[in-house]
Amino acid sequence: MQATDPGDVLDAAFVVVPAYNEARVIRDVVEGLATAFPNIVVVNDGSSDDTEEILRGTPAKVITHPLNLGQGAALQTGITFALKRGAAYVVTFDADGQHRVEDAVSAVRLLAAGGCDVVCGSRFLDTASNVPPMRKFLLKAAVAFANATSGAHMTDVHNGLRALNRKAASCLNISQSGMAHASEIISQLRKHDMAIREIPVRIVYTEYSMTKGQSSLNAINILFDLVIGRFLK
Amino acid sequence: MTFKFFLIAVLIGFLFYLLLLPRLDTLRKGVIFLLVLTMLLFVIQPDWSTTVAHQVGVSRGVDLLFYLSHLLLFFVAFAYYLKFKKMEARLTKLVRQLALERAWTEP
Repeated sequence: MQATDPGDVLDAAFVVVPAYNEARVIRDVVEGLATAFPNIVVVNDGSSDDTEEILRGTPAKVITHPLNLGQGAALQTGITFALKRGAAYVVTFDADGQHRVEDAVSAVRLLAAGGCDVVCGSRFLDTASNVPPMRKFLLKAAVAFANATSGAHMTDVHNGLRALNRKAASCLNISQSGMAHASEIISQLRKHDMAIREIPVRIVYTEYSMTKGQSSLNAINILFDLVIGRFLK
Repeated sequence: MTFKFFLIAVLIGFLFYLLLLPRLDTLRKGVIFLLVLTMLLFVIQPDWSTTVAHQVGVSRGVDLLFYLSHLLLFFVAFAYYLKFKKMEARLTKLVRQLALERAWTEP
């Protein structure tokens, strides 16, 4: 089946960018996305810097959490907003500039071609992403955990670049406000039998994205959150 | 001897406070009441705690109380942690609702 015109596909997509204190790079990220996507939603997660002010005058729609809640909560807010606005596809995209717009475009195109409900980016399918060794070890551990608990077959779960169709995005109800949401998203998608595909994406490890990214020690917190999450169900 | 009287006074004070607490269901009230009564008993007759300790294979009464109080405190801390997490989830919903209502779109 011939996919719909690519231009239309991107018009029906909403890109959700969770941002916390990203004043330095957020404008470039939004402007980069705007070259391909008309609908950009930045969820300003209670930033204490001038992330919000910098976004005025950009094409982004801005939702501001009055308090900092965490990336998981910000994603859910953005997804809820996108669905309310009638998004056919929802793309999640990190605010620190580590993703490439062309990867987001190919994810949406692949999704629109049908055959799957979710397209996840994987840095491990890409040979040019230079993942630092310690980071690689922890990410692989997270992947093993998510696969074991959800029955998925992923190669990368903590990748901020995902594209979901409307059906898949509606399945999500992220309760892990912090970084444990990455595993939670996969398990919720699996629970609703959403077909997940991975595509290689390039992660640009800049000095900025490395300092903004999670500390490797946070892996312990994530594991703890996931275990506690079971008690709250 | 004086410390004993101090403890008894505090525990009895707590009992009265407990009876006056309005927002606590009868079951919880009952459990705490029994707990405080047991504590009172052990304060008045410390030897009884040793007798109980021997029954469960602990040599000294104070040791048994020490273990039990640790377990209790751990349980209380955990219960509060879960409560805190639930509160956080409610706060998240509230903040999200507020943020969505105030969302600004391009000029």
